[in-house]
Formats: sequence, structure tokens, C-alpha cells
Amino acid sequence: MTETEGLIAGLLLLFALVVYTFWPENAFASQKEKTRLDFLLERKEQLYENLRDLNFEHRAGKYPEEDFQTQRALLEKETADLLAEIDRLQQA
Amino acid sequence: MLTAPPRSGRINSGSINSVWIKAAQAALLAIAVCFSLGASDSGSRIDSLGHRLMCTCGCAQLLGECDHYGCPSRSDELATLSSAIASGQSDQQIMDSFAAKYGVTVLAAPRTQGFDLVAWIAPFAVFAAALLGTILLVRRWSGKPDAQAATPVSRDTSLSPQERERLEQIRRETGAEGGL
Amino acid sequence: MAALGSFALLIALALAAYNLLAGTIALRLIATGTPARISPERLADTARRAGIAGFYAVTAAAFALVWSAFANDFSITYIVEHSNRALPAPYKFAALWSGQEGSLLLWAWLLGTYGFVLRLRHKTDVKLYAYAGTILAGIQVFFLLILNFAAPPFALLKGTIPDDGNGLNPLLQYPEMVIHPPMLYLGYVGFSVPFAFALGALMMRYPGEKWIHITRAWTMATWLFLTCGIFLGMRWAYAVLGWGGYWGWDPVENASFMPWLTGTAFLHSVMMQERRGMMKSWNVWLIFSTFLLTMLGTLLTRAGLVSSVHAFAQSSIGTWFYVFMGIVLAICIFTYIYQRGHLKTEHHLESLVSRESSFLFNNLVLLTACFVILWGTLFPILSEYVQGTKVTVGAPFYNRVAIPIGLFLLFLTGVGPLLPWRATSFKSIRRNFVLPVIALWATVIVCLAVGVRPWVNGAFSSGNFYALVAFAVGVAVFVAVLSEFLRGAHVIARQTGRNLLSATWLLTRRNTRRYGGYIVHIGVVVVVLGLAGSAFNRNVESEMGVHDAMHIGPYTLECTGFTQDSNANYDSEYAILNVTKGGKTLFQMTPEKRAYHLGGGDQPQTMVAIHSVPMWDLYVVYEGMNPDTGQPIIKAFLNPLVGWIWAGLVIMVLGTLIALAPSLSPATAALRVPVARQVAPEVALKGGD
Repeated sequence: MTETEGLIAGLLLLFALVVYTFWPENAFASQKEKTRLDFLLERKEQLYENLRDLNFEHRAGKYPEEDFQTQRALLEKETADLLAEIDRLQQA
Repeated sequence: MLTAPPRSGRINSGSINSVWIKAAQAALLAIAVCFSLGASDSGSRIDSLGHRLMCTCGCAQLLGECDHYGCPSRSDELATLSSAIASGQSDQQIMDSFAAKYGVTVLAAPRTQGFDLVAWIAPFAVFAAALLGTILLVRRWSGKPDAQAATPVSRDTSLSPQERERLEQIRRETGAEGGL
Repeated sequence: MAALGSFALLIALALAAYNLLAGTIALRLIATGTPARISPERLADTARRAGIAGFYAVTAAAFALVWSAFANDFSITYIVEHSNRALPAPYKFAALWSGQEGSLLLWAWLLGTYGFVLRLRHKTDVKLYAYAGTILAGIQVFFLLILNFAAPPFALLKGTIPDDGNGLNPLLQYPEMVIHPPMLYLGYVGFSVPFAFALGALMMRYPGEKWIHITRAWTMATWLFLTCGIFLGMRWAYAVLGWGGYWGWDPVENASFMPWLTGTAFLHSVMMQERRGMMKSWNVWLIFSTFLLTMLGTLLTRAGLVSSVHAFAQSSIGTWFYVFMGIVLAICIFTYIYQRGHLKTEHHLESLVSRESSFLFNNLVLLTACFVILWGTLFPILSEYVQGTKVTVGAPFYNRVAIPIGLFLLFLTGVGPLLPWRATSFKSIRRNFVLPVIALWATVIVCLAVGVRPWVNGAFSSGNFYALVAFAVGVAVFVAVLSEFLRGAHVIARQTGRNLLSATWLLTRRNTRRYGGYIVHIGVVVVVLGLAGSAFNRNVESEMGVHDAMHIGPYTLECTGFTQDSNANYDSEYAILNVTKGGKTLFQMTPEKRAYHLGGGDQPQTMVAIHSVPMWDLYVVYEGMNPDTGQPIIKAFLNPLVGWIWAGLVIMVLGTLIALAPSLSPATAALRVPVARQVAPEVALKGGD
């Protein structure tokens, strides 16, 4: 490839990439703000995951009964409060 | 024009896995065999000192591991080392004489005096400080337990029907009753 | 092609700069809600597309360089210096990263590739991806500035164009060398992605921890590349440098190890943030440091800050890197201070005996190790500054300081999995420790019995002592991790009526990240056992004429001849050695010495012959002729358990791949339970999205 051919190829590349970049595209994705509800639903998933894990580990014998009860109560309380808020937001 | 002959390491690499398990049992035995291959006393001193000194040709290798062909410094250093051992010098004397002859960079590790000592102290100081910090952190954290809200939630205490329903839902959905 | 390449690099710079600028303006407009003539979202989308276009432009440049290497275009300085006509095709590819300009181009291209994938997947979370993409564009601008102005790969040769090039450094003409640098660079560059996400999430005050979930696969894949890169480098050092070892604590090896350590710490402690909202500031700084350490690594390799056998190409781009690292650090500190209110911890540690605290200690140890290595690497510079003399900080220093730390870390890889999340008392899990402790002492007794003792000829030997500890702790960790698998499998077996094997399989698929991670731990144990074997390395060296014999371990090496060869690329001489054991001929070995026609100067290269069995490697080097006697010198090593290191890597790779695979959702897992024992399937389905 000679220098001129290289420059022509470069110009073609430039043209194609500029067209690609600035093509008037109306279907771009909008940056929607994450709502409180989205956030709570994510949290719920994580808390569920933690609870499932706690239950499973307990069955695998890694928590004494007493610890398990306390831990589960704490997690369930947190989750229940979360579910209550989700319900409130979903009804609103 | 010939091509290079196949090297044995490549040929055998395929069969390694097949004998892997059998070899696990033999491994300890193997180490025992290796271990029994003692080296002679002055030989082992050359070896051990050679691993505490650098080759000075600029290859950045230990003297005992320098392997490049026609190294200009290795044989000179090794000759100095063996004559020093033969003359009955202690390890410390040998190290000092090397430092005097070739400069301190010939020593593969910083000395344990003067500013060089800092090189040795810092890692342990940092580890100790970090350990102390972690322990203090853990103690501070456990000092203020997560939830003053540690009131156990159970099914029979004063819960509204709605709350009780939620709790049931959580238990069902998280496999508390023995699902996966 | 040179014209196209230079042009493409210029286009790429313009696009990256546009991406950075338009992205920043758009995000700023959106954040402040300032009204503007153009929709900021539209602006942000053109920025994103400029990033994608930039990838095409960098690809064109990389293609142009590789093409020039294949076309033997010796009008380009870089091609003259790193290639020649007789160079085999795969190594012409390697020419792309064998010099400074080329490897910076590889950096930019890989960054472009990561960015390309990221920008295509932006619908996962448009705003977060916009931030991350803009930050990546900032990094890309830096590399493209260097490529365009400080280290142009397409610079043309002044004067007459030579007929042939100078050839590739012979040290690099080895198959592992074709994959080692790209792997390592994939690892280095890859950490830009979690870095960009972390910084972006902090800048936009991203609510929640979902961004960690989004970047998890990126981080793990990057870690995997870096791990493979480091091990391939070890493999290369072992098979090419010919000193019988694989890790020399060379500054450049250290440079790749440091981000690995902080990256590993990040992979662990980020789980605490994901699950419990803890350690947010800490994690942010871990990933910031990891990114800066990858920059430092590139700087050390490329700018010759410290002396190293690796510094294949050095120049004055150091200043660029210092400035860039300074800017990055300033941005990190500023963003952190400005947004630190966002990083408030939601939970606290309940107990010392918990998974969380084991992660804390794991982080403590990994970071101390990282500090030790950074300290050792930079101490010569510090010493020169303080006392005016350079000192050497070599293997003896690291071995003495880093090995105890490494063993402590090994211990933690076994303890961590035994501890459950949140609080518990040690009493309750005491029984989980019984088997590992028994395994530990049983191993000690067996080792002592077969002769692995912490003393040699009556004197204490730290190497042997550490090896003994490594064997014992390694076996204990293995038992601990295995028992953890079995405990979980038992629960599943009990509930589903499966056999233990398929229960283990289901267990792993239910939580691929955890159990894949445990498999990685097993791989680490296997690697450590292999490393510990080095305490028992033996070697012999002697002149060998035809029919002379040499003994090492159970083997006898008998020399049957010496031959010479020649091809367009190099001349070689090699010894033919018959290896026998107990009078039985086993195999033949042909250690070799190569003299490359170009690129190597007068320095012949070693081609080591390695015969690897699980027990040990028989490793034979043809050192060359003794100039006084005309006799060839052969050096043979018997290196126990080296093969375990590579096997351990394979296990680590498998474990990481499992961890990368998505877990079965609870719903699917529930469907695998036989109907009779299934609990409320419709609910399980609902809960398991």
C-alpha cells in the first residue's frame, strides 16, 4: 500500500466513523433515573439471597440454633420492613 | 536444513494428567528421595552463599542461578567465593569482603544495619500496624451492634395480620421450611 | 500501511477525546439539570458511539502494524527493530507487543475492545454505563496521546530502507511468549473496567450495590487473565531462562503480582459490600489502587524505572505515566472526598468468628504482601535517595518476608470457607475444624516420617521448615474445602434424594460463585504444594563427553552425542542424552543452545529439555562448551512437584470459569427437586427471579 492509498483508506475510515458517530439517531436509550422502588427491589433480592443462604448454612450445621434464630429474626425484620415500603410504593 | 528435534518435555506433557492421581501418593516418597540426596559441605556453602549474592554482570540474577553463556563476572565471583570458603572465612566475613570488592549491590538482600535495616523492619511494622488497626476496627464495630432492633420476630407475638402475612411470605420464598 | 496506521491513531484520539468531552458535558448537564439546546441524552449517545467508532479506529491501527510485520515493511522503524524476514509467522504477531510502541498500541486496542463490549451492553444501566464509558475514554485519551506524540509505532525510518530487519529478541521467540503478554495485558487493561464503574458509581452517587453485580463478571474475567498471564510468565521463565526456577522476584514480575494481590483482595471484600453494604470506602480504594498499580506495572515494564531483565524496550515515556497517575490519583481523591457521604456503611461486623472478619484478615494479609513487594521494588530507589548508594533487594529478602505471609494467607483460604456469614460463636463450628486439624497433624507426621524435616545435617533450614508447614497447611485447607462441599451436598442429598455426587453438582450450580471460588482455593493449594517442592531442588553440573554419564536422583543421564543444526532463523547445537533408571532406558532428552542470526547479538539462547512427571521435573540445560577443554557442560536439575504449579493453575482456571457461569435461579433449582418433596413450587418460582 502506498502512502497515498493509505491516506485515502484513512479518509474513508474517518468518513465512515464520523457518519456512524453523528448519525441522527432518535432511538437512543434514555438515562432514566433509578427509582426508590427499583432500588428496594434490588435490595429485596439481596436480602432474600442472604436469608436463603442463612437457612441453607443452618441446615448444613454451621449455626447453633440460638445464633440462627437471632440472625434470622434480624434479617427477616429488615426484609419485612423493606417489603412494607415496597407495598406502600407500589400502591401509591 | 534440519528442523530442531522434538523436545522430550513436550512429548510427555500429554501423559502427565493420566498418572496424576497415582503420583499424588508417590509425591511424598519422591520428596524423601530428593531430600536424601545430600550435597557435600563446601559445595552446599557455595550454593547457599551463591544464593545470597548477585551476579555483577548486570543480568539481575543471583550468582548461584546465573546461567548465561560466557558471563563475564560469574566465574570470577565464584573463584573468589570458593577461595574465601577454603581460607576458612565465616559467612559474614565473606559477605563483607564481597561488598568491599564489588560494591553493596552484590549483596542480594539489604544488610541488617544502618538504613538498610529499615527495609527489613518496615514490612513487619506495617503488618503489625495493620493487624492492630483491624483488631481495633473489629472491636469498635462489635461495640455498637448492628441492630438495637434485635427483637426476635416470631409468628405468635403481637404482629398485625399484614406483618404476619409478610413474614410468612418471606419464609416461603426463601426456603426456610426446607425447600432449596 | 504506515500512513493508514498513523491516520487511524489520530482518528482514534479525536474520537476518544470527543467521547470524553461530550460525555462529561452531557453527564454534567443531566446531573445539574441545566437546560441546553441539544438534548444531553442525545449528546451522551453520540459520545458512546464515538467510543465504539474509536475501537474500530484503534483496530485499524493494530491491523496496520501486524500487516506491516507480515509484509516485511522495513520502512517502519518499529518493524525493522522487532522483526525480520525469516521470523516465523506467530512471532510476527508477537512483534506487536515486543517493543514499547507496539505494546502501548496493544494496551490501547485491548482497552478499546473492553470499551466496545461495555458500550454495546449499555442498556443494562444506561446512566452508569455512560459514566463508566466516559471514564474509560479518559484513559484511552492518555494512551492515544502517547501513541500519537511520544511513542508512535508507525514512525518511518530515516535514510535508506534496509533489506531485512533486526529480528525479534530471541528470548521472546517461544510459544508461551505469544500468549503471555496479551494475557497479562488483558489482565492489566481489564482492571480499568471495574475501576471505571467504581469511580462512575461514586461520581453519580449510584444507589445500591447493583453496580458490583454488573461488574462482577468483568472483574473475575480480568483476574483470570491476569492469573494466567502471571503463570504463563513463570512458565516462560522456567523453560527459557534456564536457571531452573520460575520466579525470581524481578521488578517486572513483582509489578504484575501487585495488582493481582489487590485485585484478589477486592474480589473478596466486595462481597461484603454486595451482601451487607459494608466496607464501601475500602473497596473503592482497593479498586483505585489496583488500577494505579496496573499503571505502575506498565510504567515499570516500559519506562525502566528499575533494572530488570524484562525491560525489553525503554524510553522516556515515564514522565507521561507519572503525570497521568498523578491526575488519576487527584481525581480519585477529589471524588472520594466530595462524595464520601455516599459511602456510609449500613452494617457492622457482629463477631470475630464470621466470614466477614475472615475477609478482613484476608485483605489485611493480601495488602501487606502487596506493600512488601512494592517496598522491596522501590527500596533501592529510596536507599539511593537517602544514603546515596543503591542496594539490591533480591530473592533472599522476599523469600524471608513474603513466604510467612503467604503461608498465613494459605491458612486463611481454608479457614474462610468454614466460617458462615454474620455472627457465630466459635464453639458452634468447632466440629467443622476437627477434620482439617487432624489432616494437618497427620501430614506433619507423615512428612517427618518420610524425611521432610525442618533441619538439614543437624542445622535448622527455613526452606525445609516452610515446605513442611506448606504441605501440612495445604492438606488441611484441602480437607476443609472438601468438607465444605460435602456438608452442603449432604443437605441437598437429604432433601432431594440424590446421590452425593449429583448433589455436589447441584450444590455447585446453585451457587457457582461460592463453590467455583472454593475450587479456586483448591487450585491455590495445589500451586502452593508445587511451590513448596522447590525447597528440595537439586542440581548437578559437569562436563560431559560422548558416553559420559551423570547421576541425579534415580536417573542416569548418558551422553550419546552432540549435533548441530541450522535454519534461516538460527543455528543450534544440542546434546543427545539417554535417560535411564535402574538400568532401564526411559527416554531421550535434547537440551539445546541456539544462536539466532539476528536480534540476539552474540548471546546464545538456552532451550531447556524438560521431562515432567507429577513427582518432579527432570530439567536439563546445555550450558555450552568449556573454552579450555572443548567439552560441553551439562547442568541437570531435579525439581520436585513443579508440574503441580501448572496443574494448580488449570484448577484455578476451572474454578473461575465455574464462578463466572450464572447460578441456577432458586426457581430452577426448586424444579429439580422431585415433585413429592417439592415445597410450594409456585411460590418458589415467584421468589426466584
